[in-house]
Amino acid sequence: MNVLMEEMNRRALALNIPLGAQLDVTYRCNERCIHCYLDHDDHGEMTFDEMKDVLDQLADAGTLFLTLSGGEVFMRMDFFRILEYARKLSFCIKIKTNAFMIREKEADLIRDSDVSSVQVSIYSHRPEVHDAITLLPRSLERSVRGIRLMQERGVKVIIANVLMRQNMADYEGVRALAKSLGVESTIDPTITPKMDGDRAILGLGIGGQELRDVMHNADLVGNVDEFCATPPPVGDEDLDTVPCSASHTYCYISPYGDVFPCVQFPLPTGNVRKQKFLDIWRYSPQMNDVRSIRPRELPVCSSCSHIGTCTRCPGLAYMQGDMRGPSVQDCEKSYARTGIPSANMKLRFAATGGHPVEGQQIVNLVQIQ
Amino acid sequence: MTLTATHELAIDIGGMPILVRTDSAEFAALLEDRYGSFIHAPSSGRIFTLDIDLIPPRTIVEDEDVSVRLESGRWIMTRGDFRAEFDPRTGHGWVRQSPNPYSIDGVLRILHSLFLAREGGFLVHAASAVRNGRAFLFAGVSGAGKTTLSRLAPPDVEVLTDEISYVRPSESGYVAFGTPFAGELARIGANLRAPLAALYLLVQGPENRIEPVDPAEAARAVLRNILFFAHDEELVGEVFKSVFDFVARVPVKRLIFTPDARVWELIV
Amino acid sequence: MSCLMTTYVARSKQVAARMLGGEMMIMSPRDTTLFNLNDVGSVIWESADGQTPLDDIVARLCVEFDVAPEVARQDAETFIQELAEHGIMHVSDQPIGAEPPRQEPS
Repeated sequence: MNVLMEEMNRRALALNIPLGAQLDVTYRCNERCIHCYLDHDDHGEMTFDEMKDVLDQLADAGTLFLTLSGGEVFMRMDFFRILEYARKLSFCIKIKTNAFMIREKEADLIRDSDVSSVQVSIYSHRPEVHDAITLLPRSLERSVRGIRLMQERGVKVIIANVLMRQNMADYEGVRALAKSLGVESTIDPTITPKMDGDRAILGLGIGGQELRDVMHNADLVGNVDEFCATPPPVGDEDLDTVPCSASHTYCYISPYGDVFPCVQFPLPTGNVRKQKFLDIWRYSPQMNDVRSIRPRELPVCSSCSHIGTCTRCPGLAYMQGDMRGPSVQDCEKSYARTGIPSANMKLRFAATGGHPVEGQQIVNLVQIQ
Repeated sequence: MTLTATHELAIDIGGMPILVRTDSAEFAALLEDRYGSFIHAPSSGRIFTLDIDLIPPRTIVEDEDVSVRLESGRWIMTRGDFRAEFDPRTGHGWVRQSPNPYSIDGVLRILHSLFLAREGGFLVHAASAVRNGRAFLFAGVSGAGKTTLSRLAPPDVEVLTDEISYVRPSESGYVAFGTPFAGELARIGANLRAPLAALYLLVQGPENRIEPVDPAEAARAVLRNILFFAHDEELVGEVFKSVFDFVARVPVKRLIFTPDARVWELIV
Repeated sequence: MSCLMTTYVARSKQVAARMLGGEMMIMSPRDTTLFNLNDVGSVIWESADGQTPLDDIVARLCVEFDVAPEVARQDAETFIQELAEHGIMHVSDQPIGAEPPRQEPS
């Protein structure tokens, strides 16, 4: 299966096909998570007719893997109609939801729609911690109920946990909760900056020692020796490889029709309310600019020992000011994982006159730049 | 009043969240079912709280008349099926009712009409719907066709409500909000807001047509359909002023319509 | 499959599928199995609408791929059998109709 998946991705890459896409159907949400990167006011989200047209265009463009997310998808009264339309187009669909509004009827409809999986965010096994992050009273109880109802009906549910200061003591509890519900769980310490550029919420992210502990937890990462190994010497393949799927085999469409390379890479490349999706995907100068980037040409990162193994997100780099620049959040991860500072960290170290920099300090220093 | 194992729900309508607190898990679940996507993390800083004091169901006096009056700075609200008090100075109140959704619904409508009066907004007997990111209000008394019009709405129209519309001023005009207050459509509205493009006065007739309306008639028509319950001269005066400001700034027209879906072609 | 009966085939509606560079990619959500159909398989898949008799589909294969009818028939039957075993192709001696209407969300 993995071999076939790789082959599929290779072919899509060669043919410049957006094999995967995330479509956010609304930015409205019944929660107000403290770490959320979105503006939840509605500024004129696409109508049902517009959504259908986007789905038609994505299917024609060759997209197979479709993630439907938001905001909270169930704030849209027409969400099940959107879902049904997407299923008729044979997409392989993943839904992201807080499951707060999922009861028996909704769980039945989700089961009947044959989605591939449903991802639900759970921040803690303790309601006082989870609800203090979502700011919606009883949200843990209701989200868990929604997860249970779907799981009982054979829907594949995945619990996603975002690690931040407020819940960093509870990730084992979330894993145990997921196990008890019979569902998989994932964990991610990345706090995404707000789409409008505000970086203040990065302060919620966990710091050096806690990040190191997470990266060295065998339950979370598997073989710690492998995961935390010193990076092997950098080879040509590492420098010439496609950095990530954004703009290559993946893109993102906002509820307002804006097309970005990725939800975490809010570079405007075009709007489907004004242009055909395929024209944007193929001919947008901004999309093609992103598509042309290879690690070899990155001024700082190309000389970093982590370049072959780093999770460097060009979107996070873009939000930091330069999509060809470093992504300090990924520098922190590589450092927490291996104990070896990145090229960017070494530059910062030199710039501060030889004082060690770590965790939150790195973020501040780069901003002074 | 002692409350044990309090369940809290924030019901967020019109950007003015009310935190409802009850010690009954069943009643909390009933409210969640009733208010759907309006159960919401508070979207603004100022939160009002409402404690629910549940009493056993008993024979209700068939008394639709609601009484809302100001006493020592507190609003006292009574109807055959509930008694409620709210102190606008503390932002806190309580409701005594049996475990049913109609009483709390009535209290919420009253509270919002009071909040809106202070804000230059109002609740009005009107259907409202959003098309192309703009909201339209359709005012009329019972039987004028609000529900019919809402039922005929094509798929690209999002119906906010078929019965009670929620209007607040904004920097550039007015905004209509979806509410969970359903009429005969009995369908909860979308939790959505949009800038208000026009108010239509509904009249059934032999053809679908839009006609101009002079401002005086527009004001009279809105006032006839306003939902306001308080016997308080000052607040009633505020509401009057709000309505006059409203008709001066929002286009008001008459919408004559036959009960068929083609009327929606006129609403762009 | 008897030569005396008309056979109808219908692709499963529960799968995800997309044409990628001339070949059909199919994902079965139940067990996340991935299928890659070659050009012949892709034509059979696209034609398997539950209404077109298998004979007609085979005839199309003969024309499009310039193969003898017996070869086309044999290949088609083997292919359909395999997909049916994976639960992504339905076979019947009656036309396979539309799905029952889904419950409408209110």
